[in-house]
Amino acid sequence: MTLRDEVRQAVAAVGSPAPHAGGAGGAKGTTSDLTIDETLLLHSAGWEPVDLVYGISWWSIPWGVWQWTTGEVQEASTAFTGAVDHAAKQLRQSCEQSGGSGVLGVEVGVRVSSHHVSIELTGTAVRRTGADSHRFEFVSDLSARDFVLLTRAGWWPLGLAAGASFVIAPRRTAREWAAQQGQNVELPNLTQALYLARERAMERMQQSGTALKAEGIVAVKLREGRASSSARVIQFVAIGTGVHLRTSAHRTVSPELVVPLDEQVRAFDVKGLRRAPAGRRSGGGPERT
Amino acid sequence: MTERPGEAGAALSQPDGVDGAPLSQPDGVDGAPLPDGLPRDASRRLAALEDRPGHKGMFTSDLSVNEFLLIKEVGFHPLGFVMGSSIYHLGIQTRKWSQSQELSKLTEAMYQARELAMDRMDAEATELGADGVVGVRLDVNYYEWGSDTAEFIAVGTAVKSEDGRSYRNRHGKPFTSDLSGQDFWILMQTGHVPLGLVMGTCVYHIAHRGIGQTLRSTGRNVELPNFTQALYEARELAMTRMQDEANELGATGIVGVRLEEKSHMWGDHTIEFLSLGTAVARQEGDHTIPQPKTIISLDG
Repeated sequence: MTLRDEVRQAVAAVGSPAPHAGGAGGAKGTTSDLTIDETLLLHSAGWEPVDLVYGISWWSIPWGVWQWTTGEVQEASTAFTGAVDHAAKQLRQSCEQSGGSGVLGVEVGVRVSSHHVSIELTGTAVRRTGADSHRFEFVSDLSARDFVLLTRAGWWPLGLAAGASFVIAPRRTAREWAAQQGQNVELPNLTQALYLARERAMERMQQSGTALKAEGIVAVKLREGRASSSARVIQFVAIGTGVHLRTSAHRTVSPELVVPLDEQVRAFDVKGLRRAPAGRRSGGGPERT
Repeated sequence: MTERPGEAGAALSQPDGVDGAPLSQPDGVDGAPLPDGLPRDASRRLAALEDRPGHKGMFTSDLSVNEFLLIKEVGFHPLGFVMGSSIYHLGIQTRKWSQSQELSKLTEAMYQARELAMDRMDAEATELGADGVVGVRLDVNYYEWGSDTAEFIAVGTAVKSEDGRSYRNRHGKPFTSDLSGQDFWILMQTGHVPLGLVMGTCVYHIAHRGIGQTLRSTGRNVELPNFTQALYEARELAMTRMQDEANELGATGIVGVRLEEKSHMWGDHTIEFLSLGTAVARQEGDHTIPQPKTIISLDG
């Protein structure tokens, strides 16, 4: 079989609906990246995994936006929002096709280069055991364990809420730079630029939560780091799961205090100071005399 | 801390070199506040979280599901993810090659920059009408484009008590705490309330050893008193400052203390000692802690 045939076959397999769609029988094959424990827990809560599903989207960023602007790069943020929406839509389609009614444990891959944003969502589609029809309900990056806990307390996931902002850190003028040498001072311009960028990412996440009609967003992860090839371009990405209360009130979970007896006892911890400040040099050789 | 080796044995005399110039507490954020307190975008974002007539608010939180449920369990509701940051230019201080000393200018910088970030986080929480901030993380970022500059960030989740009781500390500010949701739950079970995140920091230069000293200790088992003293002194300074902050809040104790040692960008012999913990106070009333159940899991 040639490579082309193989690829064609794979594409056909992915495109066709899963064989167990809609059926109640659990005997047919399922694919999931859940662990045994998680699968068991999910079953105990009346859910079962169906299939591994994904949504991928690439959005282009116009040329030149990184070079000629300062402050926020609006085009990149727009591309990000578009890509997330599109990938989530694909994920939903993929889930419905496989006969699931929700997606759990979604891994969010975000890649930003100078000319495009790519979003990859991979998760496990799940459905209620024994139900005949499967209405699409949620997408969430929570683990199966978190999902079970959350639903036990009356809260349900709705979807992924995400927001991003990209900012080009402003430069200091030569005069500012010179005035700051040797001083303890805050740099207000830079502080403000990065502060605002972070706030905007979170604000956009909130807006996307509001669009989901969520009452809250839990497990928010704020990722930050340099984007594109320039060190001055910094990206802030905030992602969480939008949740709402389905019952009339929050149900308490009443935890119990336990002491695990199988924990390893750490009697004495020998640690190497990373940069070996002093004592380490005591050994013998006069290294720096 | 139960025993101080300096007091117990004669080997180590209390160093007295640094006591001469106690570090003045940087007084708040007066140094260089952002022009108009909280940036406008921050206020706008926070306003969108609150319930208003005709607008349903929502909460955001970086707590995990476990933590979220435990916070609810002790009667708090998350309000929003809050943060504060400051990009700070650290000053320069000359250090003598053979002298152990605190670098007060750098210490002050580390203090002030963190305070700036935390005060802004506090301001965001106050704007939300929070009783406190839990799960606070303090981070320091370095960027390639800034020499001698660092970004200090404080993030956490603002919470409010559901029974209407105020948990603000004696300054009328929301309490802050770096305890996780789990630890927070346990703390509340024991009848303590958090008052605030307290910290002490000390940037210390540790003297290099001279040739004579090095030769004398070659091949022998000996303590190196000047290194020991310097590290000891620096740690003590950091912890004392932390305790002072806690006293000022009227705390009865500090829990979850961590002592971090970092060289940041100053090279081998200059170290920042940072001690961080949550100041707590006992509440009135009897609290009985349920007897924990002992378990042994089969997957160990």
